[in-house]
Amino acid sequence: MKNILAPLLVILLAGCAPAMVKVDSGSKTMGERMTLTLEGAWNQINARGLGPAQTWTMEGLPVDQLLIYTGIKNDQAIHDESKSGTKSFKFRSGMQPDEIVALYEGMLTRDRSSFTLVKLAPAPFGGGKGFRFEFTLTRRVDNVQLSGMGYGVVSEGELFALVYMAPRLTFFSRHQARVEEIARSALIKTGGKGI
Amino acid sequence: MMDREETRLRRSPFRMRDAALQDYVQGIACRLGADHCPDIRVYLVRTPLFNANMAPNGMMQVWTGLMLRVDNEAQLAAVLGHEIGHYLERHSVEGLRDAKSRAAFGSFMGMFGVVGAVGVLATLAGAFAYSRDHERRADNIGLLLMHKAGYDPAEASKVWENLLMELKAKLGGDPTRSPMFATHPPAAERKEMLMKFAERLPGGAKNDDAWQGRIKQYCREWLREEVSRGQHEESLALLTRKIAELAPQPDFLSARAEVYRLRAQEKDLDAAIADYQAAAVLGGEPPETHRGLGMIYRLRKQLPEARASFQRYLDLAPAAPDAAIIKNYVEELGT
Repeated sequence: MKNILAPLLVILLAGCAPAMVKVDSGSKTMGERMTLTLEGAWNQINARGLGPAQTWTMEGLPVDQLLIYTGIKNDQAIHDESKSGTKSFKFRSGMQPDEIVALYEGMLTRDRSSFTLVKLAPAPFGGGKGFRFEFTLTRRVDNVQLSGMGYGVVSEGELFALVYMAPRLTFFSRHQARVEEIARSALIKTGGKGI
Repeated sequence: MMDREETRLRRSPFRMRDAALQDYVQGIACRLGADHCPDIRVYLVRTPLFNANMAPNGMMQVWTGLMLRVDNEAQLAAVLGHEIGHYLERHSVEGLRDAKSRAAFGSFMGMFGVVGAVGVLATLAGAFAYSRDHERRADNIGLLLMHKAGYDPAEASKVWENLLMELKAKLGGDPTRSPMFATHPPAAERKEMLMKFAERLPGGAKNDDAWQGRIKQYCREWLREEVSRGQHEESLALLTRKIAELAPQPDFLSARAEVYRLRAQEKDLDAAIADYQAAAVLGGEPPETHRGLGMIYRLRKQLPEARASFQRYLDLAPAAPDAAIIKNYVEELGT
């Protein structure tokens, strides 16, 4: 637990405490083109180093995370790039689902955690032909085994995705259905046409 | 604290639990450590990076990324010897402070016999006089341990040369930008020192075949982990070297193809197709070889080729995690 809390402690000591904002039930506009409908509240964490995804949690960041990507553009990294000396994982508009999943695998294993793809299948998302993936992640910092799932679609050359992960025991199953509902509610606007 | 860390490592899901491979690497460490063998406890750790380290309590971690990179037993011994050198050097530093540890340092020097010890002392003294840097000392001690254990010390500089090649690829030709160089001697100096010192200790075994045979069953898994790091330039440097040095192996060709496909810079897809096809011609290729070909053909609208490649992938790996999306592609491609 000490290891998990250490980065948060550093943030606090640096005078940039993460702000937690309640996200209420109802329809939410995410970025310029995506809307999500929530049943039940979430906590949104705002802190340096968490972009470009919006980061939501039910149990607190060391436990579970829902990453929401809206309109990631060609050549834009899917993670914060302020930490120098580390490889950036950047989205390209022409990427296929397996390449996008590989991008997330690279991002999630930058700290030497271990990622295993469990399933990758076509799935509607945001009103378009997207994909859904499941994975397990063994977190390096504390050896905790996480289960994860994600939805994604490329619309007008931009990436829209949801990625959720939580400890395999108890927490993932507790919130999985709620995340699936959010994914099903996603709607992406496209210049007057559907994607 | 170290014992608590070791307990954690022993239970870690990242630890490889292959008793035979574990005993084999422990055996190499023991040959190097000689009388210190009972103090050394090797743990193989599933991490696709070049690293090994040894804690003051004798816990030694050897990462799979290191095992993938070394070409033979002697090269692994060079790294393990370096780490044991750090361990022993701590004893020797303590030895300057108290009689008990002075005896331990004497015991280490005694490993090389009276005649050997004179040369060893001269060399070590030279190294100590030149620099107090721990890395340099560990390098020197590591070479001596290699020689004593019957390994060819000339392999040590090759490990460094190979690592340097990867760092250059990663950092656009300037390895001094690597954080590693903040704690390690300059590359050229280190390589030269290792080569020069190895010349004084000629001979010894490399054991290429023994090593390659031992790790063969893990190569596919380690290569997948290497590719999934997304460090394309480093991986290409590593895989190109391996492909040039080793007898043709479909796993290395397929892994390089996968890196080219994922990097997708100009001409990368052509290079990927060439490697995938070479792997398939050799036979025994990973199923992903055909998925990769299918992806490129689909992108290039070569529909019959894409369909055939995806079908071959599904035949070879019907339970693959991505089988559902590949089946969907096959359906989209039609008959």
